[in-house]
Amino acid sequence: MSSDIVYMDCNVSVGAEYAGTYRPCLGVEQLLAEMDWHGVEQALVCHTLERNQSPVVGNAVLAEEIAHQPRLVGAWSILPPQTEELTPTPAFFHEMAAAGVRALWAWPTEHRYVLNRITFGCVLDELSERRIPLLIPCDWDLAYHVLADYSELTLVVTAQGPWGNDRYFRPLLERYPRFYVDISRYELDCGLRELVNRYGADRLLYGSAFPQAPMGGPRLMVARAEIDEPSRRAIAGGNLRRLLEEVELA
Amino acid sequence: MIDSPIAREFLETGRCASCGVIDLHAHYGHFRGIYMPNHGPQQMIATMDRCGVDLMVSSGHTALADMVRGNAEMAAVTAQYPGRWYAYLTYDPHLRELGRRELELYDTRPTFAGIKLHPTFHQTPITADAYRPVLEFAAARSLLLLTHTWGGSAFDSPAHIAQVAERYPSITLLCGHSGHGQFAECMDVARRFSNVYLELTAAYAVRGVIEDMVERVGAHKVVLGYDLPWFDPHYAIGCVVMAHISDEARRLILRENALRLLQGRLRVP
Ligand SMILES: [Zn+2]
Repeated sequence: MSSDIVYMDCNVSVGAEYAGTYRPCLGVEQLLAEMDWHGVEQALVCHTLERNQSPVVGNAVLAEEIAHQPRLVGAWSILPPQTEELTPTPAFFHEMAAAGVRALWAWPTEHRYVLNRITFGCVLDELSERRIPLLIPCDWDLAYHVLADYSELTLVVTAQGPWGNDRYFRPLLERYPRFYVDISRYELDCGLRELVNRYGADRLLYGSAFPQAPMGGPRLMVARAEIDEPSRRAIAGGNLRRLLEEVELA
Repeated sequence: MIDSPIAREFLETGRCASCGVIDLHAHYGHFRGIYMPNHGPQQMIATMDRCGVDLMVSSGHTALADMVRGNAEMAAVTAQYPGRWYAYLTYDPHLRELGRRELELYDTRPTFAGIKLHPTFHQTPITADAYRPVLEFAAARSLLLLTHTWGGSAFDSPAHIAQVAERYPSITLLCGHSGHGQFAECMDVARRFSNVYLELTAAYAVRGVIEDMVERVGAHKVVLGYDLPWFDPHYAIGCVVMAHISDEARRLILRENALRLLQGRLRVP
């Protein structure tokens, strides 16, 4: 087994869902146990309260959950600056650093705002300069609009689902060098091989969409994809660790 | 980490020598809405080799849109790979007369291993009269019949499957996608009717479903598929081999159940 490859999952969450999850993961102990079972060393994690209640609540709960968990890096959620619900930047970035948070989510549908320059102005420019990854749920229109406004932003589109998405995301890979793809649910046969051959491995991030999806599918798919070992190492975790190391919060 | 010898062998080699996979839900050809880089026959066979898949049974994408053309295409392509690739006859409920002729051709197409229905695509309840000719044909010959199923569907929900299973006990019914979204209801149907099986395409990607099937219905009623050339077999296999079930259950799901169902139904050895 390629035991020198250290897997890091870019897309896991803990917490309940309004509509229920077939088999929920309510806390980090369950998450870590599943990671152990699947040979996944690290994960970038958010709490469902960030999306389902409010980042005001969920960000704090996530910080508590991941305190003293060196295998977990946190991802908080943002809100428009106009309503002043979250600490304004740059103090917000210092809070992220203190909580072990190095990436952010945006949920414009659930939180009822427009994710663009009119709303976020220079806040997302600050994210771009500090190289803080912004994760969004899979919405290609949204991704195209955000990147049109913020072409330097490190944007990760997550959990695209198993139906074909290459026709949507390949133009973004060609146009925006800081655009990244979470491969959870990118189940296309030989899809990873074709992407690596055409675009290289640098912008593909291993993810599972746990706990909606199990970790075993992407774990075996990445372990056995027909790609060279440096590409596998990059997709499995190297790319995400590099992205998180580049983040400047001070 | 997981200590299953089967899981370990798949992780290390991509295959399992003692447990070659049998895929009962595959396709062939282009399809709207998805770019498939690996759609050619030789490419699909290469994927089977890469992933330790011994045999697959496909229905043609062409046949969903154009039954006559698509079934002929599947007969021709599977004939190139005897013992490795078999086909389902796809039946279009809107084309009664052509459908009758397709059923008559079944005997002349020895790689056909059963019937495929897609009531959702054809917007016709599987319980409707339009499906009666094909169901009677399948029942008279005790065929294997794979049908798309989806939770809450007006055409192929678990409740529809229960009606068909009861009326045609000699048909071996594979519930493609296991009534996705109504898993518990589909498991109930599979438990109630000895001729109903749960097929895992897409269902494997919902965490906990495989474990529940094994616990509530039994691993002997679960079979594998993954819509090739859509989905990487390793995604599906990874969900099975790393699920919290026994190696015995993994073997049944990946291989043994399908072999048992195909026994006596393969006219090309
Ligand atoms: Zn299918």
